[in-house]
Order: sequence, then structure tokens, then C-alpha cells
Amino acid sequence: MVAVETTERPVRLPLRRPRRGRVLGGVAAGLAAHLGLPVVAVRLVLVLLVPLGGAGFFLYVFWWVTIPAGDPVEAAASTRPAASARLARRLQVPERSLPWPEIAGGILLLGAAAVLLASRRGFDVGGTWLLPVLILLGGTALAWSQLDAVQREPRAGRSRVPVSVLRLLGGTALAGVGVFLLVGRDVPVEDLVNSALAALAVLVGAALVLAPWWLRLVRALSDERLARARESERADIAAHLHDSVLQTLALIRSRSGDADEVARLARAQERELRSWLYDDRVDPGTSVAAELREVVAEVEDNLGVPVEVVVVGDRVPDEATAALLRATREALVNAVRHGRPPVSLYLEAGPTAIEVFVKDRGEGFDLDAVPEDRFGVRESIIGRMRRQGGTATVRRRAGGTEVELRLPVAAQAEEREA
Amino acid sequence: MSESVIDTVLVDDHRMFRAGVKASLDAGVRVVGEADDVDSAVAVVHELRPTVVLLDVHLPGGDGGGGAEVLRRCADVAADVRFLALSVSDAAEDVVAVIRAGARGYVTKAISGEDLSNAVRRVASGDAVFSPRLAGFVLDAFGASADVATGDDELDRLSAREREVMRLIARGYSYREVAGELFISIKTVETHVSAVLRKLQLSSRHELTRWAAARRLL
Repeated sequence: MVAVETTERPVRLPLRRPRRGRVLGGVAAGLAAHLGLPVVAVRLVLVLLVPLGGAGFFLYVFWWVTIPAGDPVEAAASTRPAASARLARRLQVPERSLPWPEIAGGILLLGAAAVLLASRRGFDVGGTWLLPVLILLGGTALAWSQLDAVQREPRAGRSRVPVSVLRLLGGTALAGVGVFLLVGRDVPVEDLVNSALAALAVLVGAALVLAPWWLRLVRALSDERLARARESERADIAAHLHDSVLQTLALIRSRSGDADEVARLARAQERELRSWLYDDRVDPGTSVAAELREVVAEVEDNLGVPVEVVVVGDRVPDEATAALLRATREALVNAVRHGRPPVSLYLEAGPTAIEVFVKDRGEGFDLDAVPEDRFGVRESIIGRMRRQGGTATVRRRAGGTEVELRLPVAAQAEEREA
Repeated sequence: MSESVIDTVLVDDHRMFRAGVKASLDAGVRVVGEADDVDSAVAVVHELRPTVVLLDVHLPGGDGGGGAEVLRRCADVAADVRFLALSVSDAAEDVVAVIRAGARGYVTKAISGEDLSNAVRRVASGDAVFSPRLAGFVLDAFGASADVATGDDELDRLSAREREVMRLIARGYSYREVAGELFISIKTVETHVSAVLRKLQLSSRHELTRWAAARRLL
């Protein structure tokens, strides 16, 4: 039988050492997730394997070194192309647990110190080989714990470098000392130093030979990282286009009979895409220009008439500019309702005043002919501007009507002090 | 119609847009050639020597320089051929780049066929075409207020009259309306606009560069 439906999760999770639910290195937890067995069973098997010539121990160490750290579920998700992956990551509850590996390392080091102290005092502790072996093991553990830490935190690598380098160097030095003490137990000091130098020379030679290969590896790795970043950026763009442009196109197709609605949708989408492509994202409450564009967008959407906006300069919004924008909105609505398109809007934020001009191409209206009870122009435009210490003028021309709103900056400052 | 028909070449990488523009132009403007990337545009312009080239700001091909690259590579025929930039882009540095490379004006692609035909005629007669948005760019770049630092090179600032003309164009006034508003002739308006265009093209004003750089995407 073949399962026809495709599931989100692959049949078998990749082998990773998860951070969550690990006791030592996460080997057992990773194996359990990979094999789909209970963690306890895997741990039990590993422990039972220890008496068999230390098989359990060696297997554990081998896997600890060879299996990369990471969340198996996330790793499974990231093997799919980035374009089809979710942009938002799963919510993760941070797990608080005792730092067992560190505690174990500390106990080991304390034990080594105690043994050292005891041997200094003249006690013979388990022969001359025990101390070097302990030092060797401690150094190796230190160096490997660094490897594990780097794998765990690939993003935070930069800030961790000094600590990890220190760990690596310290571990290597400890292991080296251990090896020499172990090998050169009965050898005179000069020979020890000489052989140490020889070993060092061999190491340096090997490093020189391997350096190009290592460099290539590093370069390939960084190339791959770059490619990944690019792909995720592309996925971001694809997701945006999908959520906005494709949806709108589908809407337009389904309503192709309604010309006004189609024009409205197209304009709204164009504006949204434009702001996404060209504008730097401005923080809310920092730009009068951005707020003006919102006002215009609302009027365009509601009344279905395009407005040509030109903005020169900008400033931080306050109460007075909020009133100015409300008055601008009224003027725009008036221009759209009573005038003829195209409607032009010009805002200039100069050092002495903010000026707004709203121009249409209609017949225009006579302010004196507008009845007192029509609040539109008189109250919501002229009254509003006056209360903020500004002025509003309506001018009729052969080519259309123009509303001019002017808000002096000085008046604004006085008002704020009052 | 007493005016002679103006030969134009249409350069844009979108076939649908070219077809739309061709259909919307009136009888006074004839499209004699089309091109869809930088290299073919340069070849067509050199071969046909049209009066006016309608040039998209964003073009594929060449060295990736878009419309500005076409302008640079057509510099040898610049005396006979005039360029009008067409763009959907709101990015100031794109527009300023083609203007500084030698385009005689800039209009948005949302322009009506009638206005575009008039703009082509205006460019053909040697005048500059400023859309409200380009006027806004100019005011932004040169400083909108009248009392900018004096003592600069004459090229680096706008005269009070030029600024007034730019402000009116930014407010949506046609050249005719600007002339009526300022009690000057249309010819004088055109002179002012051409002077501003020249300043925009030649000014070494460092703010212009800085300003364009500050508007860069991301």
C-alpha cells in the first residue's frame, strides 16, 4: 500500500541532537526522534551497552561528535524549498534545565584537582598514569564542548568566539600536557622538551599542508550561507507577492464586469506595492508625509478618484498637523465630489509654515453661496485651521478650484507653550 | 493641422505598454520605431534619428544602466534627438539620474494620451517637460524655502521666480495656468522651466547627490 496523501512531516525525521529534552549531548533524544522510539528505551539500551567493552560509551561519543546539533522537526522543514516554507517560525517555549554538561565538567575538574592535591601530599593515587589520563580527558572534553556550543549557536557565533577559542586552546593545551605526562613518564626533561618541539613541528607542517583545503571548505560554507540567505529573501518577496498581488489579481478577475471596482482594486494594489518597493518603512508617528499618504489612500479607496500627491519636506506630526490633515481630508473629499479629476495635492513643510494645496479641475464652488448649515467647508476646513492658528482660502479659477491651507510653524510653537 | 507630424521612437521593455502608448498618442505624433532594451534602443535611435525618444527609465540589457545608459550612448546625436523620460518609478534617484544624463523631461506612465502628445510636442520644440512630481523632486533637492544659503554658484540654487514656477507646477498647474497665475507669458514659463532643467543637469551641488543618496532604496 502506498500512502497517496502527502503529509507535512516526512516519514522519518533527520538525525539531529535536539537542545530540548537532552540530558548530556542530546544523542539519545535525537536517536529516539529519528527512530520513533521512546527516549527511555534508547537511553536504557545505551547504558546496557556500556559493560560490553564500553560499546555504549564509545557509540555515544561517536554520535555526539558526528551528529549535528539542531531541532529535528525544524531540520525536516528546512529541507523543503524555502519558498514553500512558512515565514514565521514555530513558537518555542524556552526550556529551563540545569546545565548538566557544565556541572559534569566542573565535577571532573574538581576531582582532578583533588587527585593532584593528594599526590602532592604524598599519597599514591592509582599509579602515575591516572593523573595524565584525567588531564587528557578533561582537555578533550573541554575542546569538544566548545564544538558542541558552536554548533548549537550558529547565529550568535560572533559574540561567542573569544570564549570558544579560549575553550579550544585551553582544552588542546590540557590534552597536550596529558599526553606528554602519559607518554613521557620515565623520560628525562630534555628529551620531553625535544619531542614536544618535534611534535609541534609535525603539527605545524600538517597545518600548512591542510590549510588550502581548510580555506576552500570555509569558502564553500560561506558561499552556501549566502545562497541560503538569498533564497530566503526571494521567499520573502514571493510570499509578499502571493499575499498581495496575486490575491488582488484574482479579485479583479472575479469582478471584471465592475469597472469602478476593478479600478479601485488596481489603484489600491499599486499604492501598496509601490510603498513596499520604494518607500523606506517609516515608524508610525514620525512623518506627516506618511500620514498624508494614508489620508489620500483612504479618500482614493472610498471615492474611487485618483489623487496626484507631491510632498516636499517632512516633519514630526503633532496636534496641529493632525488638524491640518483632517482639514486636508475634507478638502480632498470636496474636490473629488464637486470637482473633476485629476485632483492634485501638494504639501510643503518649510521652516516657517506647512502649506497644503488641493486643486481640482471642476467648475468650483462659491464659498458665499454655500449655505451656513453646510458644515463641510466652513467648519471642517476653515474653522479647523483657524483654531490651530492657521488659515484656509478657497480660490476659484477658470481651470478649477484650489483650496490652500497654511499652518505657520511659529503659531504652532506658541500654542504648545500655552 | 498646420503642425508637422513628429517622429518618435518608443523605448520600453513591456510590449503591452508600448501598444497602449501607441494607441493613445494623437495624430500629431507618429511612432516610427520601437525598442525593448538598451542595445536595441541605441541602435534604433542612431538609425532612425527621430525627433523625440520616449524612454523608459528602467530598461534591461547593456551594462545595466537603464535609460541613463541609453542617453549616454546616444550623446553623439543629442543635438538632433530629444529624450523624454517615462517612468512608473517613484524613486527620486532614478528620475534624477536620467534627467542628469540629458533627458528633457520626465512624466509618469499614468499620464493621459493627450497630455503625453502635448509633452512630446513641447520636447520637440526644445522645451522642458516637468510633471508635478519632478517639480516636487526639484524643490526637495534644491530646498523649497527661498532663503537657502547665498553665495553658492548660480547653478546651485533656484531664483525666486523659478521656485514659484516649480511650486505651481507641483500644485498641478499647467504651463498655461502658471502663466496666468504669475501674469507672464507661456514662453516665459517655458524659459524658467528650461533654466531649472539646466540647473538640475549641470549643478554640482553636493546636496543634490546627498539628497538622492538619502532616497536610495533600503
